[in-house]
This record gives sequence, structure tokens and C-alpha cells, in this order.
Amino acid sequence: MRHSPFGYTQAPFSHPAWQIGPGLTIACGLIALTVTGVAALLWQAHLPEVSELWRNRYLNNVIRFTVWQATVSTALSLLLGLFIALALVRQPRFPGRRLLLRVMELSLVLPTIVAVSGLVAVYGRHGWLTAIVEQWTTVRWNLYGLNGIVLAHVFFNAPLAGRILLQALESVPAPRRRIASQLGLKGRWLWRTLDWPAVRRVLPGVAALVFTLCFTSFAIVMTLGGGPASTTLEVAIYQSLRFEFDFGRAALLAVVQLLICGALWFLMVRRSLSANLSPAREFPESIPRPDSQGVRRLQDVALLLCFSLFLLLPLAAVLFRGLPGLATVAINGGQPLNEMTEATLRSFAIALPAGAFSVFSGLLVLSMSSRGGGHLSRLSSVATAVPLMVPPIVLGTALFLLLRPSLGNSYDGLALVALINGVMALPFVTQLMRGPLNNLDKSTVRQADQLGLRGWYRWRWLHWPRLKRPLALAMAYGTGLSLGDFGVIALFGTPGQPTIPVLLYQQLGSYRMDLAAGTALWLVCLLLLVFAAFSLPGYRRNHRNLAGNVFKALAEGRHA
Amino acid sequence: MLEVKGLTFRYPETETIWRFTFGVDHGECIAINGPSGSGKSTLLNLLAGFLTPESGTIRWENRLLNELPPWERPVTSLFQEHNLFEHLDVQTNIGLGIHPGLKLTRTQKEAISHGLVSVGMTGFERRMPGDLSGGQRQRVALLRALLRDQPILLLDEPLTGLDAEARTQLRALLLRHKAAGKVLVLASHDQEDRKILADKLLNL
Repeated sequence: MRHSPFGYTQAPFSHPAWQIGPGLTIACGLIALTVTGVAALLWQAHLPEVSELWRNRYLNNVIRFTVWQATVSTALSLLLGLFIALALVRQPRFPGRRLLLRVMELSLVLPTIVAVSGLVAVYGRHGWLTAIVEQWTTVRWNLYGLNGIVLAHVFFNAPLAGRILLQALESVPAPRRRIASQLGLKGRWLWRTLDWPAVRRVLPGVAALVFTLCFTSFAIVMTLGGGPASTTLEVAIYQSLRFEFDFGRAALLAVVQLLICGALWFLMVRRSLSANLSPAREFPESIPRPDSQGVRRLQDVALLLCFSLFLLLPLAAVLFRGLPGLATVAINGGQPLNEMTEATLRSFAIALPAGAFSVFSGLLVLSMSSRGGGHLSRLSSVATAVPLMVPPIVLGTALFLLLRPSLGNSYDGLALVALINGVMALPFVTQLMRGPLNNLDKSTVRQADQLGLRGWYRWRWLHWPRLKRPLALAMAYGTGLSLGDFGVIALFGTPGQPTIPVLLYQQLGSYRMDLAAGTALWLVCLLLLVFAAFSLPGYRRNHRNLAGNVFKALAEGRHA
Repeated sequence: MLEVKGLTFRYPETETIWRFTFGVDHGECIAINGPSGSGKSTLLNLLAGFLTPESGTIRWENRLLNELPPWERPVTSLFQEHNLFEHLDVQTNIGLGIHPGLKLTRTQKEAISHGLVSVGMTGFERRMPGDLSGGQRQRVALLRALLRDQPILLLDEPLTGLDAEARTQLRALLLRHKAAGKVLVLASHDQEDRKILADKLLNL
């Protein structure tokens, strides 16, 4: 430890190299991994003619369908999310408000394959709602294809959009809302003066996020696509790699996906437009709005009830259909119980390291961003957004190809899955930590600088107290995302060694529906367990309601 | 002696250039006088190392301070507010002024307790800043500054907004600090503060 002429004690790890080096290494590693990923595919196979993209009818259709379904899903999700957010702002005393907000949060972290099984139970050929509709009307409905894909995307993304937009609407300063209330502004003028300025700030970010999620959606299209006519780029890449062994075509499609999503995120990063996904929601002062009474109130309540049903019915289906299956497995034991136990252990063996990796690397990359200048900040934004754009299957395949000589057994494959899952969770995990890590105000920073709180000391005294909960939440999120993963594991998993989502897919594929329903419910229970476990430190300290904490912890979610 | 010679500073994209030249000896207090926007806080931030001057020198005992970062300068600042870390208790806030890793000897821990007694805050060790009044917060911040034992104390409107009793108490503490040979650089709008504490006046 060095002492200055004026008695200053140098803090451990306060050299700029410590603050930038590790994060820079990880950020460069992530970008290199992406570049290497695509390059490895190109190296293994000749890239087909680019003109094949518009000459080959199948590829042409895949690209057009991917863009079309993502556009429709984004538009509907944003529209529904906006209506829901406005209704919730207008009706702060809606009786089911808290429950609806919790369900909106819960639906976001549901593993896709579980949610899809719930959606099938409600809207499928023999679903609850389909049966009622077909009995009373002449309307016929097919869940498979564009309908189902868009429905599932809206199920996942409308709550996400609604939550972010609600946060933006609630962030309008109270004095401005009071003035609008006093002036009795309604309709177009209320929208122009109060709502639109708040929504406009976050709308591009939310739109880009939702579009990217829909554009790169895999499990939903795999399960609800229904045929080659409804194939997206991500699924086409999977098919090229898994069934046709056509690495060249996979690389070409991956480059197309990277270009489209990359261009979108480049614009976002350049214009500093990003959606704030932080779960900390402040409940603002409730000021009555002139447009919250009369017919509008009835309309809002009806809309909120319908939306609640839209979200609750599939969840209820997972619960009601899963309970008997789960009980049967628990009571009868035998092979199904062994399968489930082994799959559970295997899932955790992948998910916990994946969560730890994503949190650790996210923290280092963000630390670099907060210490460095504009270039490092942009590098950090790109590095953490890259996993959103690159199909995990491409990353996985590339790593597999590169490491193939040294990959000896199935455990290596599982380690690869954990690594890719950790990388895929990064964009969401970093969103959770970015705010608490970067929100030190100027006076605190100056005070800390003067007292010599740098390096390890700054982390210990300033960052750690603020980051404890977000870190635990990020860990829960990284773990939960990996727990529900059905993308990377579909490529690297072996049928004899399934994780819980793969086991569920196998059971669905072999029409063991009761068992599948039980497994789906079990997966949801595991997810809740993970979030509850990582919320416990906060519970002990703050003596808060555990269930509230669990659901609050679920606030930051994305379907796996 | 604190010596400031030909120190100039200009905020980016502005025309105004501030120039400062003055000197203060041990046990003296210099009051900076001027209307809002005249550069009082800018000068304190330059001395603390939060801003970088365009030219000129800052010396303490003939050692050049210009190149030193804030944490290596022999100064402690006391602002009108936001002097404490809100998420840390009183004892930790003070302790961090003595050692940034909070590695305190028994003597140093005792000094904190005695210091709290001397500023009329016995038993406040575990209180959070949010639970304190404005005057109590300033007393904690000042106690940290005293225990930090740096020779120069930069005061930016430290008594503004406090009640009469708190002001009297804090002025007494500052006078004790001055009597112990420390240098005080005071930016204050308050004439009475200047009259009681200052030995010199710097008009901006």
C-alpha cells in the first residue's frame, strides 16, 4: 500500500487497469466470440451465393416471414401494452391492479415451452376457449402458424411493453399532472401534454427490444410454427445445422439476422435510446385524471379484466393440468420420478454456473463502462447487446466446431450450454445492474474521491450496499433464464440426458400429456424457488413479505 | 501556506474566464465574496481537484497540487448539503474519513465517540443520515473533516439553511479548527459568517 506525501492511503485495485482491464477483456471476448462464431461457420463451409437469399424461394420466404411476424407481433404488443398502461394510469384504484401487475411480471419469466403449453390448453384445437367459441359461434381458429406465433409473442411482450410504458407514464412529474387535472384536460390534449411526451422517450427502445425478441424467437416458432410456411431465420438456422448439416446456409442466415438486428441496435446505441428495464418502480402520488370517469372508466375496467384473463387463463391451465400429473409422479415414483429428478439436477448444474457467469461478466463490463469514456461505454453497450442479435445456436455451433477436437464427452457439451446460456442472459442481467451501478450522483462521487474511496473501497462502501439486491435478482434471472432454456440445449443436449425443458418437449412429443403438464408445473415451481432463494437476503434485512419479494424479483423477466 | 497564483478556468462552451490569485497562512480563514455565479464554488472545486484549471498554480507548503487527484490533496470539503453517504451510518461516514477501508485502531474509534460527544451527538453512532436534522448532518460532516485532519478546509455555504443554534455551534467548531492551525477557505453569502470566521476577504 502506497502512502502519498499528504497521508493518502491507496486503495487496493484502484489502478485504472484494474477498473477497465477485466471488463474490456470480457467485452472484447464477447464481440470476438460473435465474430469467431460466424467466421467458424464460414470456415467450415463455403458461403452460398448471397443472391440465393432472393433467388431461393424458401430462404426468401423465411426472411419475409421473420420480418413480417416480428413487425405484426411488435405492433400488436406495443398497441396492447400502451392501452393497458394508459388504463392502469387512469385507474390507479382498479381492484385487481396489484395482481395484474404481478401477473404481468410473472408471465415474462415463464419458460416459453411452459407458456406455450398453457396457450395450447386455452387456444389450441381442444382448448378451453376454442371449445366455447366453436360451440356458440361459427368462428374457426387454428393456433398453429402465424396466428399462434403472434398470439404467443403478444402474450409475452405486451406485458413487458405495458410495464415499461406504465413506468414512463408514472414518471411524469406530479406538478405537471396536477396542472393537467386542474385545467380539466381530456382526450387529445391530455395525450399531447402529458402522456405522449412520456411515452415518446421510451417507445423506440421498447419497440427495438420487442422487435428483437420476436425476430429472434425460437421455441415459440418451433412449437407453434406448424410447418415450413411459418419458419423464421432462427429456426431455419437450427434446421440447417441440426438436420441438413448445411453450415454455409446457416452462416448466411446468421449474417442476415445479425445485419438486421445489428442495424436496429446500432441506431439505438447511437441515439442513446434504451428501454429502462429496471424493476424498481416508484409508486407516484395518485392524482385524479379528468379522463378517468364515466364511460371511459367502464371501458378501462373491461379492458383490464380481459387482459387479466388473457394472461391468467394459460397460467391457470398450467396449474390445473399440471397438478394431477405432478401428484402422480410424486406418488407413483419409478421411472418418471427418476427422470424428473435427474433432469432437475442437470438443469441446475447448467443454470447456476450460467447465472454466475452472466452476473460476473456483466458486472465487469458495466464497471468498465462507468469508469471509461464514451468509446468504452459504447463498446460495453455493443458487447452486452450482441447476444440479443446473434442466434445462440450459431454461437454454440461455432464454439462446438472450434472446440470439437477437445470436446470429449457430454459434460463438455453441457459446459458449453452453460457458457452460451450465460452469454445469452447478459443483455437482461446488465439491464438490472446498470442503474444501481451508474446512479452515483455527482456529490457522492466527489465526496468519495476526496476521501480516497476508490478501487476495492469504493466497491465495498458505495456499490455493494446498492448492488446487493440487484445482483441477487440478476443471479436469479440469469439462472432462471438458463433453467427454462430450450434453444441451445436443443442443439447440444442428448436425448438420454435431458434438462427439464427438453424432458417436457420429449413428453409432449410422445403424447404423454399428463406427465408433460406435471413437468411444466414443476418447471414453474423451480423458477419460483430460484427467485425466492435469491430474494431471501433482502427478506431477512427488510422484513418484507416473501411472496411480494418473489414476485417483485420476477419483475425483470424475459421468457426463456 | 496555501498559495494560488494566476489560476484560470473556463467552463466548456462559455466565454467567461475566472482568474484567482491569493494566499492564506496557517490558522487563517479567507472568505470569498461575490454574487451568485461569480465563481466561488468553481474556485473551491479547483482547489479540491474536481475541476482542472487552464493555467496557474496551487501550492501548499511549496508543493504543487495541480497534478494531484482529489484523493491525494491535503484538503477536505464541506458543502451546504450532500456531505454524507446516505446509506451508511454516522460512525461509518466518519470512519471513512479516517481510513477509506475503515481499518480503524481502537484510538481512532474512541476519537469518533469522543468527537460525537463534543458536538453534542452522543449515541448517534448507528443513526442513518436520513434520520438526522440539517444541523446534525453538518456537525457529523464537520466532525469527519476535523478527524480527517487535513490542513485545508474548503467550506461552500456550510451554514446556509441551518437554525441559529446550529449555526452558533458549527461556527464554534470551525473557530476551534482554525485555532488549531488549519486553513479555512470559506464561500458564503452570509455577512455574519464572514465577520466571525474570516481574517481575509477575496472579492470576485
